[in-house]
Amino acid sequence: MKLLYVKACGFKNCCEDYTIDLVPKSKKTSEDKEYELQEVAPGLYAYNSMAFVGKNASGKTSALELLDCCYSILGEFRIEGKHYSYDGISLEMIFYHEGALYRYITELENDKNLGNKAAFKNEHIYVQPYFKSNAKNVLDTNAYEELTEIGELPEDTSNIFFVLKSKKTYALYFDGYISKESSYDLAFKAMKNYKIGSEILEDIFRIFDENILALKRLDDHNYLLKLKNEEKTLSDTQLVYILSSGTTRGLLLYILAAASLKEGFDLIIDEIENNFHKTLVDNLLVLYKDKTVNKHGASLIFSTHYCEVLDQMGRQDNIWICKADDKVTLENMYLKYDIRSELLKSKQYYNNAFQTAVNYEALMMLKKVLKK
Amino acid sequence: MKRLIMCEGSNELEIIRILLENDVLIFTEDDLLGLTPFHARQIKSGTQVYTELGIYPGNDVLIMRIGDTQTDKLKLPKDIQHKIQGIEKYCTKPELEMLLIIAEGLMTDFEHQKQYTPKEYAKRNIYLGKKRYDNSSAFYRDYFGESIDRLTDAIREYKRIKSHNRDELFLADILK
Repeated sequence: MKLLYVKACGFKNCCEDYTIDLVPKSKKTSEDKEYELQEVAPGLYAYNSMAFVGKNASGKTSALELLDCCYSILGEFRIEGKHYSYDGISLEMIFYHEGALYRYITELENDKNLGNKAAFKNEHIYVQPYFKSNAKNVLDTNAYEELTEIGELPEDTSNIFFVLKSKKTYALYFDGYISKESSYDLAFKAMKNYKIGSEILEDIFRIFDENILALKRLDDHNYLLKLKNEEKTLSDTQLVYILSSGTTRGLLLYILAAASLKEGFDLIIDEIENNFHKTLVDNLLVLYKDKTVNKHGASLIFSTHYCEVLDQMGRQDNIWICKADDKVTLENMYLKYDIRSELLKSKQYYNNAFQTAVNYEALMMLKKVLKK
Repeated sequence: MKRLIMCEGSNELEIIRILLENDVLIFTEDDLLGLTPFHARQIKSGTQVYTELGIYPGNDVLIMRIGDTQTDKLKLPKDIQHKIQGIEKYCTKPELEMLLIIAEGLMTDFEHQKQYTPKEYAKRNIYLGKKRYDNSSAFYRDYFGESIDRLTDAIREYKRIKSHNRDELFLADILK
């Protein structure tokens, strides 16, 4: 399954028809096909990496949360425990699965009886067989035919179940809500679920902190930390103080990246640069673009303030500019802006080509007050 | 020293991958920048090579360009010039399909049909089972992937029968 298109109405503070189109739009060179794109089916491509940029409070997290919401439906057939209201949301998704393109439409509601779960209303599923010759019809709604009489499910379960049939991880969302203490537990759970060996954990530690030789989980909250000269038994709270923020975040993020690359599911990361050296972010991007590492079509989807990262992306149509006025909107860099490909994207960003500059007047107002 | 292999096309890249997998080169993937060969005509034509050069802290990179004629000059961005120790060109001119023509034993016939380029000739005359040569990497993989001797023999024979300019090396020069 590969998600190709999302349109939402009533999602958080997003504008009506808030759209994320994941089908490549610009020319595909042979180098792009090697590094920037993955061939989902003959002639049908998806991105290896996607970036959402914009100033603070511009809606980058909302874009990622919308994708996470769609992946929850596709992977688990339900939405539960999100940090936003489901009332009034309507969603449209197009995805590829086993030789066919599917278009799914649903409305969501909060259901008090079901706790923090969404109820699915007015669901419709449409399908068209995929052939290389209809690669350009992905977004043509007239090319789809509705699936009827597919069955009934409890209202907290999406009818997408009838298409995808079994639960599967299609994406993991690494958001800003994960506490440092729970990072270790999550990392070890991921290692167990996705069969990531302890040697990978040791290699990750070597990247972040060469003094650490190994970390072993003793129980839910206690760990054995092997350093070069000593061993310590520590609780997760104590580990937070012993390890640097970068090591704690990097441990979980790199374990999830290893799982994503191994299994071929997408990894969604809010603010990829947090606590990280630029080289580490560059390295993550390199891993997803290298088909000898990324063998199963995983994609890295991230938001960032660190616009130098954009210079490592070979295309423009996989970069979205987030903006917030009354409502949050999204602009595709390739479709909306006429940026010469030889110019550094980071320079354009700092030159305010995408109207993303920090409010200078507001900065000076604060400085003025501080001077008093 | 780190070797940066830059292949002009995806078919050259596939050939290098097959050679590496079969351990018939004088170096292994461990000796390569980023542990992999790249498909890149210029350092900045894509972003992958440039990013890998940025990540690598050493100043001992030997660039090995693999392609047919390689008439375009390699441009070195200023910020990475200090990392580059040398540049070598490995040619398969006039076109990579020469290796298929040699492997099929069709050199004499090809030389008599001067109206065709090697690519055109290969598309007309070279088959693997029922599959005709289609300029795809998959064809090279199917053709040479399971018979590495066929590939190394063709590479050595190419060096024996072809002459290059002084600054142009042969793929045979990096075979063990």
